[in-house]
Amino acid sequence: MNIQRFTTSVFTIAEIEVRKIRHDSSELWMRVIQPALWLLVFGEVFNGIRGFTPAGIPYIDFITPGILAQSVQFIAIFYGITIVWEKDVGLLTKLLSTPSPRSSIIVGKALAAGFRGLFQAIMVFGLAILLGVHLRFDLLDIAGTFFVIVLFAMCFTSLSMVLASLLKTRERMMGIGQAITMPLFFASSAIYPIALMPKWLQIISLGNPLTYVVGALRAMLLTGDYSNLAVDLLALIISTVVLIVFASIRLRRLVD
Amino acid sequence: MYAIEINDLTKIFNKRTRAVNGISFTVQEGEIFGLLGPNGAGKTTAIRMITSLTTPTSGSVHVFGSNVSNSSEQVRQMVGYIPQSISVDADLTAYENLLIYAKLFYVNKNERDTRIKFALEYMGLSDRTDDLAKRFSGGMMRRLEVAQALVNRPKMLILDEPSIGLDPSSKIQMWKYLKKLNEDFHTTILITTHDMSEADELCDKIAIMSAGKIAVIGSPVDLKESVGKETLTITLKLQKSSSEQVLPVLDDEFGLVSQEGNVIKISTRNGEQAIPKILQSFRDVGLDVDSVSLNKITLDDVFIKYAKMKFESENTESNRDTRMARRTIRRRAG
Repeated sequence: MNIQRFTTSVFTIAEIEVRKIRHDSSELWMRVIQPALWLLVFGEVFNGIRGFTPAGIPYIDFITPGILAQSVQFIAIFYGITIVWEKDVGLLTKLLSTPSPRSSIIVGKALAAGFRGLFQAIMVFGLAILLGVHLRFDLLDIAGTFFVIVLFAMCFTSLSMVLASLLKTRERMMGIGQAITMPLFFASSAIYPIALMPKWLQIISLGNPLTYVVGALRAMLLTGDYSNLAVDLLALIISTVVLIVFASIRLRRLVD
Repeated sequence: MYAIEINDLTKIFNKRTRAVNGISFTVQEGEIFGLLGPNGAGKTTAIRMITSLTTPTSGSVHVFGSNVSNSSEQVRQMVGYIPQSISVDADLTAYENLLIYAKLFYVNKNERDTRIKFALEYMGLSDRTDDLAKRFSGGMMRRLEVAQALVNRPKMLILDEPSIGLDPSSKIQMWKYLKKLNEDFHTTILITTHDMSEADELCDKIAIMSAGKIAVIGSPVDLKESVGKETLTITLKLQKSSSEQVLPVLDDEFGLVSQEGNVIKISTRNGEQAIPKILQSFRDVGLDVDSVSLNKITLDDVFIKYAKMKFESENTESNRDTRMARRTIRRRAG
């Protein structure tokens, strides 16, 4: 496989989505509503309870990285619906009939979700500033956050595309998406520390990619404690690569 | 070298459905080839194997000499494929739709813009360059799809049911564009269709598929001839004199079928060309012709003759299915 051609294809596939958003960006703005409500309603209410979070971090500060991760997860997990739709109308068949390698189509689609994730991150930062959340706006940390967000979006988008190749209809994708988003969210450290969970849930949370994402984001945005960062990043990178490979293999099945 | 060379190609889905069952045929370079057949005959599966979208169960496909199974990227680089359902991105402009495909086909950066402009111009869309494709009519979307393929300058265009859902005038316009492409650039064109007038109008050669097999292959003229001859029915003006009517001696290519009073039936290979000749020979012997009607053989007749096999085999198939189902139910009950 020719690397230059591969990258051209990846960025072209991502470019399709960016151009669509440029024509109509309403979707992106609507997606800001949910994290805003989590921070404004849930965050503000629970902020009154002390002793919930480690080392005197205000609750709203504690959940901000978690809410950011969750909102990106929402974008990514339902991405498979788009793929199924593109299959149904013939867009995907057309993409597959070009000389572009199949894996470049998967990576390109995943990257497009990463772009949406970046927008989400910027919006959550804006909300955080408005609500007086103390984030460490250090240049390297911001860059690191963006990197994690893009990778995370790619990871879950690939997972969603694997699911799409197995389930093949939009209705089933809606069903599975709703079935797994909340459990993944609650079995992670997004809105409460892992230490508070019962033992069995703690074990489950170790296999949840969201835990590592929230861990990495919290280290960079909140605590500045990088001791677990390497593990978090490694876990995320490995699961992303594995899912991209798997999704590329399965893509053919989707149109067969 | 053939544009397409197919050898004993078979596709079996889920280990039991033989969508394509051992077909072999060739398509010449520069030819417009039509793959006809009723719904479910295996046309789409066949062209999906030619474009490497589906892997064959057995057999081989070569496109311009390249084996589809092991050099699929080369094959896709040479071929423009337009699927049955509209495949333009409705949320992008016409220009963007072409730009994306120029990039995905790795068209040289310096050439992209020229090629996009040319393709839009060629397909009569240059005044809608920056409009979103969702504002286009069905016919324009189809033309945009062809334009998308053109940016790559494909050696062959493959269209799956290109005129489905188009109104008669858009359909005729589409045929005009395809013919022009074939003439201007010597582009080989493969279409699937079950519109017989489309096949007759466009194709140099057609293959009729039925139940996964090729039932017959040939040029539209040959196939029509194989079905039978056309019949001219000639009605003579009643003669004033009571003298007996003496019919002219007809050329060998015409056959007298019947004569009842002043109604004469003549069979011929090509009725339209026969009419002036026959009229002349009647006039030569002093007979006045009142009216002529022509019973033409169309591809519909060809289709019905060769696709009939399908209905028959389908019946036996469904009988077997019912039997099997009954057996399963009995087994469950037992």
